[in-house]
Amino acid sequence: MVLDVKSLVDAEAGLISRRIFIEDEIYQEELERIFARCWLFLCHESQIPQPGDFITTYMGEDSVLVMRDTSGKIGAFLNVCPHRGNRLCRADNGNASALICAYHGWAFGNNGNLQAVPNLQDAYYGDLDHSKWGLVPVAQLDTYKGMVFATFDKNAPSLTDYLGEMAWYLDCFFDRREGGVEVVGGVHRWIIPCNWKLPAENFGGDAYHVAWNHLSALTSGFSRAPAGRQTPGGGTISPGNGHCILAVGAEDYSAAPAQIIEDYEELIRAETLDRLGPRLEKMTPNVGTVFPHMSFLRGSSRSFRVWHPKGPDKIEVISCQFVDKAAPPEVKEALRVTGLRAFGPSGALEQDDMDNWEECTRTNRGAVTRRYALNYQMGLGHDRFDEELGAWSSDFRLSDSNPRYFYQRWSSLMQADSWDQV
Amino acid sequence: MPNLITEETIREVEQFLYREARLLDNRRFSEWLEFFSEDLRYWMPTRSNRYPVNSKAISILDASRYEEEEVSGEDELAFMEETKKTLEMRVARLATGMAWAEDPPSRTRHIITNIEVEQGDTSDQLRAYSNFVMYRNRAERDEDFYVGSREDIMRREGGQLRISYRKIVMDQNVLLAKNISNFF
Repeated sequence: MVLDVKSLVDAEAGLISRRIFIEDEIYQEELERIFARCWLFLCHESQIPQPGDFITTYMGEDSVLVMRDTSGKIGAFLNVCPHRGNRLCRADNGNASALICAYHGWAFGNNGNLQAVPNLQDAYYGDLDHSKWGLVPVAQLDTYKGMVFATFDKNAPSLTDYLGEMAWYLDCFFDRREGGVEVVGGVHRWIIPCNWKLPAENFGGDAYHVAWNHLSALTSGFSRAPAGRQTPGGGTISPGNGHCILAVGAEDYSAAPAQIIEDYEELIRAETLDRLGPRLEKMTPNVGTVFPHMSFLRGSSRSFRVWHPKGPDKIEVISCQFVDKAAPPEVKEALRVTGLRAFGPSGALEQDDMDNWEECTRTNRGAVTRRYALNYQMGLGHDRFDEELGAWSSDFRLSDSNPRYFYQRWSSLMQADSWDQV
Repeated sequence: MPNLITEETIREVEQFLYREARLLDNRRFSEWLEFFSEDLRYWMPTRSNRYPVNSKAISILDASRYEEEEVSGEDELAFMEETKKTLEMRVARLATGMAWAEDPPSRTRHIITNIEVEQGDTSDQLRAYSNFVMYRNRAERDEDFYVGSREDIMRREGGQLRISYRKIVMDQNVLLAKNISNFF
């Protein structure tokens, strides 16, 4: 069967094929055309602040090692020994001048260079070109406001072009105050038996599920529900390139479940407005997704996470919390505890999401089920390009417009043989 | 310091922990909350993969950056960081009829073993160590094993043992379950 990618997404009609959430053939194409080409989030600089610091993560299903070398420069490499293909580093993070493969002892510097090979003189007769057998580096690496991104595609546009207008929206989370943010130590990692696009579109575009799926948490004190205004404002915002933002009303900038956090938000409001500009008086960016699979939120938890694909029906989440670097310690502590009670594997909000995403994936195993397209028609024809927001924006706060732009971008990349065609 | 705890106290703590497990498995969460004091800290840190200091898989560049501790610290992310009040909030949430991760509810079995009881840091405190295997089965075929250790600090309040501190350390790095919607 030839894969007709074009038929899978009909954004104009608001119809998406269920096949994209379950079929391995499509998933294998995603690994090539999405994950091996797009800029992917690796980590925040504050997770590897000093020379020699390293952290392991994934780009698509490729195991990746992100290291700050002895001179302080950040590099990212396949975490794979080029000799026999063994996974090189088995630690989550650490500090090293060199990493040594457990199989035969090939040693690599923290800049990825092959440093030493056992039996080089007697067994290889001194004849091995070290410059050809270092760790495989990413094609491009760049940072934006402390966030480290990389791509395996040397022809991919620059990170600045890739993020485009999304950059300002990222500032609303990661650069609200002088010094930006820092990551709270530690990490949440867990497995969800779901397709990676479900959480990506949920964070990017699904304001609809909050009032039903999360009502139990909202009414039990885990999140402060928006102030109950008649016209709460906000909307679904697509700044382009498949990136998505969910905004709440301009007045709802401090919906945190603790008074100390609300007081802090009041205290820094003028400074934040001054730093980010008048656009912030139109709405408050609250949740979002950088295409394809890095999501983030504020409000009940300040978290960023990557939905690492592990097959068409499985992901590994790597999730971190962030805080304004300039925030006082007691505010940081309040954000840590309230955040992890709401989001993370045990989060009173998030634990209910996992179950839905799992079932939204598994039902697609049914051949007949798979014939029926999914409905992404909410607000069809009711979004427009808003000059002030620099983005396509829905007229009402609830809309499927963001997922429609997300899947349009997905479809475009899946069909394109080069970036010129995207 | 010799362990001055009597056989009688050890039996009492064992029975206390078994009873607690039975209440959890029978979903008697309101009664379960009474096992904890008002000043409770209920903490489940995360685990990291780290090379031991003598590992030959790395040469360390900056010894001051080396961290051998696998268990996340007090000020770091944790799987759970609860007070008595937030545990009450979680139990209240389960009763809303909209706690979807537990609707229909999990079938759990808490196997509590390896109980050691010793004197706590103050004369009115007891410290109990235990291991647990928590089996969860849910819906048609969801199946998870949560395995780890606990450290409890407890004291008597009006003749009743109450736990004021519980540290739960799970033996997984990447949590292999899709969520944590039960108690330990």
